[in-house]
Amino acid sequence: MSESAIEVRGLRKSYDAFEAVRGIDFEVGQGEVFGLLGPNGAGKTTTVEILEGLRPRTQGHVSVLGYDPGVQVNDLKQRIGVCLQATNLPEKITVREALALFSAFYKRTIDRDQLLKRLQLWEKRNVYYTTLSGGQKQRVALALALLNDPQLLFLDEPTTGLDPQVRLEIHSLIQELKDAKRTIVLTTHYIEEAERLCDRVAIIDEGKIIAMGTPREIQAQTIGQSRVEVTASAPLPEDGLPSFTSVAQPVFSTDRTGIVLGSPHPGRTLVEVIKWIDHAGLEVTDVHLKRPTLEDVFIELTGKKLRD
Amino acid sequence: MNSYLALIQTYLRLTIRDRAALFFSYFMPLIFFFIFSQMMHAERGTAMLVVNMVLTLGILGTGLFGAGMRATVDRETNILRRFKVAPISPAPMLVASMVVGLFNFIPIYLLVLVLANRLYGMPMPSNMISLTLFVMAGVLAFRAIGLMIAAVANSTQEAQILIQSLYMPMLFLSGATIPVTIMPEWVQTVAQYLPATHLFVGMQSILGGGEPLSHNLAALGALVLTVLVSFFVGVKLFRWEKGEKLSNASKLWVVAVLAPFVLMGMYQTRTKDNIVKNRVFDRELSRRVTYLVRNVRIFTGDGTVIENGGVLVREGHIAEICTGDPPSAKDLKATEIEGAGKTLLPGLIDVHVHLGAPGGFYAKPEDYRAASGFRRPLEAYLYSGVTAVKSAGDATGMALDERNNIRNGTDLGAELFISGPLFTAEGGHGTEYLKMDFIKNMPESARKAMLEDFVRTPKTPQEAADQVAALAGRGVDAIKAVMEAGTPGMLFNRMDASILNAIVTAAHQHHLPASVHTGDIQDVTDVIAAGADSVEHGSARQAIPAGVFRRMKERGIAYDPTVVVYEDMMDLGLGKTDPLDRSLVQQVGPPKLIADTKKYMQSPAAAKIRESFEGSHFNLDLANQNLLVAYQQGVTLVTGTDSGNPLTIHGPAIHRELQLWVQAGIPPAAALQAATWNAAKLLHASDRIGLIHKGYEASFILVDGNPLKDINATERLSSVFFKGEHIRRQDLFDDER
Repeated sequence: MSESAIEVRGLRKSYDAFEAVRGIDFEVGQGEVFGLLGPNGAGKTTTVEILEGLRPRTQGHVSVLGYDPGVQVNDLKQRIGVCLQATNLPEKITVREALALFSAFYKRTIDRDQLLKRLQLWEKRNVYYTTLSGGQKQRVALALALLNDPQLLFLDEPTTGLDPQVRLEIHSLIQELKDAKRTIVLTTHYIEEAERLCDRVAIIDEGKIIAMGTPREIQAQTIGQSRVEVTASAPLPEDGLPSFTSVAQPVFSTDRTGIVLGSPHPGRTLVEVIKWIDHAGLEVTDVHLKRPTLEDVFIELTGKKLRD
Repeated sequence: MNSYLALIQTYLRLTIRDRAALFFSYFMPLIFFFIFSQMMHAERGTAMLVVNMVLTLGILGTGLFGAGMRATVDRETNILRRFKVAPISPAPMLVASMVVGLFNFIPIYLLVLVLANRLYGMPMPSNMISLTLFVMAGVLAFRAIGLMIAAVANSTQEAQILIQSLYMPMLFLSGATIPVTIMPEWVQTVAQYLPATHLFVGMQSILGGGEPLSHNLAALGALVLTVLVSFFVGVKLFRWEKGEKLSNASKLWVVAVLAPFVLMGMYQTRTKDNIVKNRVFDRELSRRVTYLVRNVRIFTGDGTVIENGGVLVREGHIAEICTGDPPSAKDLKATEIEGAGKTLLPGLIDVHVHLGAPGGFYAKPEDYRAASGFRRPLEAYLYSGVTAVKSAGDATGMALDERNNIRNGTDLGAELFISGPLFTAEGGHGTEYLKMDFIKNMPESARKAMLEDFVRTPKTPQEAADQVAALAGRGVDAIKAVMEAGTPGMLFNRMDASILNAIVTAAHQHHLPASVHTGDIQDVTDVIAAGADSVEHGSARQAIPAGVFRRMKERGIAYDPTVVVYEDMMDLGLGKTDPLDRSLVQQVGPPKLIADTKKYMQSPAAAKIRESFEGSHFNLDLANQNLLVAYQQGVTLVTGTDSGNPLTIHGPAIHRELQLWVQAGIPPAAALQAATWNAAKLLHASDRIGLIHKGYEASFILVDGNPLKDINATERLSSVFFKGEHIRRQDLFDDER
């Protein structure tokens, strides 16, 4: 493998006073599926749009397929496929016409009938866009992104807003692409999507990458730090917090009846917490003890949930 | 290039599949077409205006709503977001939208033209290429404006507001729905700042006025510039996503797009070209209306009378004359005019007027100056049923300009025929005016024109011939000379007969009629010898022998007695202002002129003028007697009035002239023939005016009663038609009355 598909070093992006991206470094290898995970406003869309050539950057080095997206936008667009969330097509364009129209913008395209068949759109090829279901529309979007046989595919929240059944369909499509060794950058805030599809994941928050690696590696960073969740009958006292056996300060639920801690020794921690609650004269109503997931890692790292 | 073609093809498909788009681009214009056609009686000659209105509405619609709204909605519904990630720039998107608008408009454009032609008899435009190019520029410009609105609007609502605030004024002020000529002039001026006005006027000039594109370069330029600027701004401000908002400052780009029209508006505010163009077109249209006058007595002009007949007017000409009951107006697609109890006769012709003289006295020089234009008297003539006049001596250049304004429809007034400057002797009659006080009161340009262009005093026959040739080159319609020695107390140098001969010969060489002012028998005799075309005035101080008139008849020379001016001069001498109290005079005479003249007649200055008149020995009875002898000897009579002299008011004077003739013993039919057919012959215009005859210009009057029995009936004007237009007499002039 000669070089990376994407190289990003020290990327920054400011909007007037607001700094959306605050120094990001990562690489995406050829044939890799790379996930960008983060809550809304974390800077992942900005980052991806800079990579796609849709937005200028403020600072830093970016190379996508060897192109500088700030300069060689058109060359870049010829080589990549992009599937943005919530795009639309005119109501009365047929699937086949849509593909034909967008084909005209590219120098090199693949056989459209093959593509339609592969994406199970062949039956719907002469149907108006407006009559398609949500899943079918998303597949059309994917088809448009694949028209130019892109070396690199950006999928921006490809399953957001779709029902679980359709989401599974799309996942298997992406799985196929992954098996075909296509480089994919996937942004999502579905943890399971990232866990299932991505070779590597970067977690972005407030414009910074706070963790990066394979889902397993990221989990390993917090391995043993199982999650202890305890819920009490009434809000927990603000002061007199004992020092628990945990890796970080405990996180409280908004109504302060719940407490979450990460711990390499969950049993010991659990006893400590229950003792404390009992001592405060409160009753324990629920107890959970979980091995960490990406979401936990995320919560642990950022102190917030992915989907608020 | 592929992108452009693919986008155009796709947009075309989408438009054809879009029922709303089809409704607005085809169904609506057709509905408007039929509604307007019904309302405005397109079959009677207004189909061109209807076409123009429908096309303007269509272009406004396709531009503002078709392009503007569509582009905004495409962005708001995230369609453009999908295009954003493809290797495509805004340019092909904008171009495709404009071109598709063009393709969509061409069919309705052709359809409306063909429908107007087939259903309402509108001639197909002779300059189809010019019209099509202009319409195409219009479609592109308004599509571009629409796209520009989409580029600056931050939401569908904002786009709606912007579109409506452009659409509404253009709908009502451009002429697309309401004829602009009925609006106050300041509104018409404001309308000149709207793009649609230039579209409308341009199409009107090309379609209705038959002008080539090259005469409408300013309007075309503004449209093309709009396309370019809008395109530039559209590309610059193009947004692919509703999320990208535009700053308010960027919205100022709209101003840049409208800049060409601000310039056009400023230019038009100064020149008023378009306002005049609209007026002219309105007039052209009024002249195309089909009328049927029925159940009317017709005096054709040459003596023939049809007691009950009908006259069909079409395209400004008399299309048919019938005896008895004509076919119904509805079958003829004509506006009906009931003529029961009325008489229809050719428009009257006054062959001897002086437009530069007001017909009375103004107290203040500035009032005189204000009244010195030639348009006002010509309006007064038309009001009075006089559809043609011959200026028998005025500042020639000014007269030629006014004749042009009347011809091209800028001004509405009686048709003007022009004798050039007066040919007279050095110190002869005519030259005395140049020394009078009123010359000093004239505006500078008019004074200069008077001094240079009012008289010619050739010293040799050759000089006279050269001067006539020069005038013929300037386009005068006739030559006027003066043979007059004056009377004791007001003596003039008289032109040598050899020079008169040279003038008449030269005039005839240039096919111009020569009319000669005379004062006594000797003058008349010399004019007959010279073979002129008419004797003006004859004599009001000597009885002209029958033998002289016999020779006049033999030589085919017309006699224009202008008896009314003698009556007025005698009234002036007696200090009477009776002529100013006549109804028609009260209607047309500028009120200030009438009031000031009445006041002046009581002043000491008037007494001096009266004294000077005492020596001039004018005698109305002698003038009348000469007229009667001329009639008895079979001389061709024509009516002139010498209007412009004190108390001889422009317009009404000819009616008084006719009344005096009948009092003198001339049969009304002969008097009316003199005022129509005979006068037209003297003007060398008897192939088109002066007669109610198929193919002749529809310039005629309708009077209550029967002037053949009661000559006073000519003053009871019911309708005046001029070149096919039913004149709104009350709108002809607007001074402070």
